[in-house]
Amino acid sequence: MRTKYLLTTLVAFGTALGLATSAGAATPGTIVSEAPQPTKSAAAQVDALLAQEIFLNDSTAELAPVTGDEVFLRRVSLDLVGELPTPAEITVFVLDPATDKRARLVERLLADSRFGRNWARYWRDVILYRRVEDRALLVSQALESYLTDEFNKNTSWDKIAQAFVEATGDAIQTGQTAIILAQMADANDVAAETARIFLGIQIQCAQCHDHPTDRWKREQFHEFAAFFPRASVRPTFKNGQVRGVEVVSFDVEPRYRRPNMMFGRGALEHYMPDLKDPSSKGKLMTPAFFATGRKLKTGVPDKQRRTTLADWMTAREDGWFAKAFVNRIWAELVGEGFYEPVDDMGPDRACTAPQTMQYLAGEFAARQYDVKWLYRTILATTTYQRESRPKHNMDEPAFTANCAQRLRGDQIFNVLSAALGLDLQSIEGRGPQYLGMRFGPRFQFNSVFGYDPSDRRDEVTGSIPQALALMNGQFVNRTLVGKTSGTPLGKLLANTKDNEAVTVELYLRCLAREPNNDELKTCLEHVRTVGSRSEAFEDILWALVNRTEFLHRN
Amino acid sequence: MNWNLQHQVNVALNREGVIGRRDFVRGISAAALAAGSLNWTDVVSLRADELRREGMACILLWMQGGPSQFETLDPKPGHSNGGETKAISTSVSGIKISDNLPKLAAQADRLAIVRSMTTKEGNHQRATYLLHTSYVPTASVHYPTLGSVVSQQFKNSACELPSFVRIGRNFANASNGGLLGTEYDAFVVQSAERMPDNVSPTTSTERYQRRLDLLGRLETAGGASTGSGQAHDHQKLYEHASRMVLSPQMQAFDLSKEPDKVREAYGKTEFGNACLLARRLVEAGVTFVEASLGNWDTHDRNFERVRTLCGQLDQPFAHLLTDLEQRGMLERTLVVWMGEFGRTPKINLRGGRDHYPRAFNVALAGGGVRGGQVIGGTDAGGENVTGEPITEKDLFQSVYKSLKIDARHEFMSPIGRPIKIVDGGQPIASLFS
Repeated sequence: MRTKYLLTTLVAFGTALGLATSAGAATPGTIVSEAPQPTKSAAAQVDALLAQEIFLNDSTAELAPVTGDEVFLRRVSLDLVGELPTPAEITVFVLDPATDKRARLVERLLADSRFGRNWARYWRDVILYRRVEDRALLVSQALESYLTDEFNKNTSWDKIAQAFVEATGDAIQTGQTAIILAQMADANDVAAETARIFLGIQIQCAQCHDHPTDRWKREQFHEFAAFFPRASVRPTFKNGQVRGVEVVSFDVEPRYRRPNMMFGRGALEHYMPDLKDPSSKGKLMTPAFFATGRKLKTGVPDKQRRTTLADWMTAREDGWFAKAFVNRIWAELVGEGFYEPVDDMGPDRACTAPQTMQYLAGEFAARQYDVKWLYRTILATTTYQRESRPKHNMDEPAFTANCAQRLRGDQIFNVLSAALGLDLQSIEGRGPQYLGMRFGPRFQFNSVFGYDPSDRRDEVTGSIPQALALMNGQFVNRTLVGKTSGTPLGKLLANTKDNEAVTVELYLRCLAREPNNDELKTCLEHVRTVGSRSEAFEDILWALVNRTEFLHRN
Repeated sequence: MNWNLQHQVNVALNREGVIGRRDFVRGISAAALAAGSLNWTDVVSLRADELRREGMACILLWMQGGPSQFETLDPKPGHSNGGETKAISTSVSGIKISDNLPKLAAQADRLAIVRSMTTKEGNHQRATYLLHTSYVPTASVHYPTLGSVVSQQFKNSACELPSFVRIGRNFANASNGGLLGTEYDAFVVQSAERMPDNVSPTTSTERYQRRLDLLGRLETAGGASTGSGQAHDHQKLYEHASRMVLSPQMQAFDLSKEPDKVREAYGKTEFGNACLLARRLVEAGVTFVEASLGNWDTHDRNFERVRTLCGQLDQPFAHLLTDLEQRGMLERTLVVWMGEFGRTPKINLRGGRDHYPRAFNVALAGGGVRGGQVIGGTDAGGENVTGEPITEKDLFQSVYKSLKIDARHEFMSPIGRPIKIVDGGQPIASLFS
């Protein structure tokens, strides 16, 4: 059911805030920033701007109503901490009469250490799904730990980005080396990934030819790559055996080259290949930042090159940096970016709601890239809190509802463990460890259920091995036993005689909501026809973890 | 149908030149091509059914580590680079291969041996990717692997098994469905001797069916709490997966169903079993099977180690060709034997050979390829190719030509950049004449 929402309320709100009706005609890449405002009014301003930019001019806009408490709690828990609320949390939250309970919930979850972990895993996948070699997985655990700490401390996004651009050190201990390592220090690829991840710009198309749709020239790409020729990756040894890899600065001309021993180590400067004569050395490139045109000289040491770029890239007046983060986080939370795909915002790409984007990015930059502020603000918008719908068609307006989307591998692992009543902490410890990396059930699970989070979310599809793992896999079926009290399901059946109560509890555990009447009837009927109570509830739990809803967030 | 699809590809470019697969499919329904309920997989299988009429299949025997050309298909007896390896006559006069492969020598009339393969990648991971995709690895585009392209281009919809199967574990960096999506990823079988993971229901078939029914009823009763598109895709996926689980065709994975005489003929070794499984799967309608034999990275004790490896390779490879021929399947099944590169002509101090992408071997058989010939060659010391150099692009052009796939076909990358199946190169003409 799609409900018509009263646009006038929103518009009145916008007028009350004194919003201008015409957008500041900002040039791409610059941010109009105003004085920082408290979060609540920032959220209201976002809603008002969207109403102005999109819904007012579009008679087809049918706004979804604000979602109920159960759905909101499940959504915000998955979005912030990557897990479902417990049945007890659901009951308490739904019954809580306080009018500010949603905001308080958001604060509590932002302060939860699982927040950092959840988003660390998201960025781990953003970076490592684009690895050119599996050896880069060595950095996986360190990357996750590093980002978990930084997000939990609410380190500003510019400081985090700078750490990645400037990184050197052992992969197993230094998570910030991940981007360089994932590209094995190839200057072109590191440059491309840096621009994609932190600036939302796919400048690598200009590697071989002038960009067909964006304004960057081939030379500008290679000037940008010229910040990275000296970053290298080399193996580390212990007792004569290779034990890992490290990222190092390389500022001395190599006397000889041993293939396979050092990557990204060829020349001290970057050369743009001559397309007419590929075997020639090419043209010497001076490091220059394409977005602002600021230049270094050739001959500058690696450390200085990269710290300089890190500063230039994250400078407030640039703008791409703030917009790229805002676009990604907005897309993850609302289900659809202002630009899609989320990492392709180039100067000539269309933005669904430019004023809203400018406003949010400007505020984010003005608050020194305060990561939790951005979450808090987006989660407080009515736009975020609307009921979900499938991704709208191209000819329908954006942001009239939150978009239902598929959970990431880590989230599914968490949700499944909780649904089966397993203790995450104890199962995380299982499995062999190699060079600080654990190949336990989560790793195996992610290799089946994971996906590149930069892909358009509506294009992420399930696979046969995923369906098989949920239907027939050991992880599920070993625990899915009702007739002994040694399993969580068995315990529940032994302690709860009432079949309706068991059904409700299983729904809360699996889907964080109560069953509707039809579902309850279907389940109780199943118990009656099967005869064996334990078998019937094994079937019900099996069916719940195999449902569409189980794998998606609404 | 082809025309329509081509047309839709054009339509699928909006003003920004970027469009997703879903929108593309929506475009199709808007164009009143169908009732409007088609999803992406449906559209692809429409085209796939067309191509399937050709009934082609491919088996890739992947030699992880980089097999030595000197000890396999391009021996150099009498030259110091050749070491102790001898050359033996084959069923084709004038063609000699290493004495490590006597059974394969008897099949030379079915083999087209490419001795002038040449690439620029001497690193295992990069070269493995290159020889699976014809592209060097890059962060911006995930190029689909050969098996994914082939199964995307013609999936056999009458077959309830996965269209692309990998047997074994030796596939570091061999890529997967990439930009084509996870539905074209390889279905991995850890060992040919066991059924694949998670394909057997943990309950009786009757109860399994009961659970599926309950799942269906609860999905309906639960209403549209998730998007109808997602629920539709999920339902289709579960139908497909459970059809596969319950399918009698799953017996193709069970080698014990094969007469012992046949199992003996393949050699009952790990690689022998993988080759037999590959044949069984193709027979059951699987489009692409990749079976691997590892440990070819012989930096030391090259001669001894390659002799052992050839002992594991010779009989299964030779018998696979015989078996396919006897069953009338060879003409429509292309068999490709290759690794990521060759080994250095100079023998190092540890009696080993190091990585050498400049001149190495690939062998092709079946699939309309003319056997009993050698393409290109190397100089006396095996250091440089003579005759026509064959790059990875030429090789992939040839493989696709054999499989009747148009290598100029373009996929759309997520940022709207067209990606050719193979970008450049020429099919090797003499393979098909």
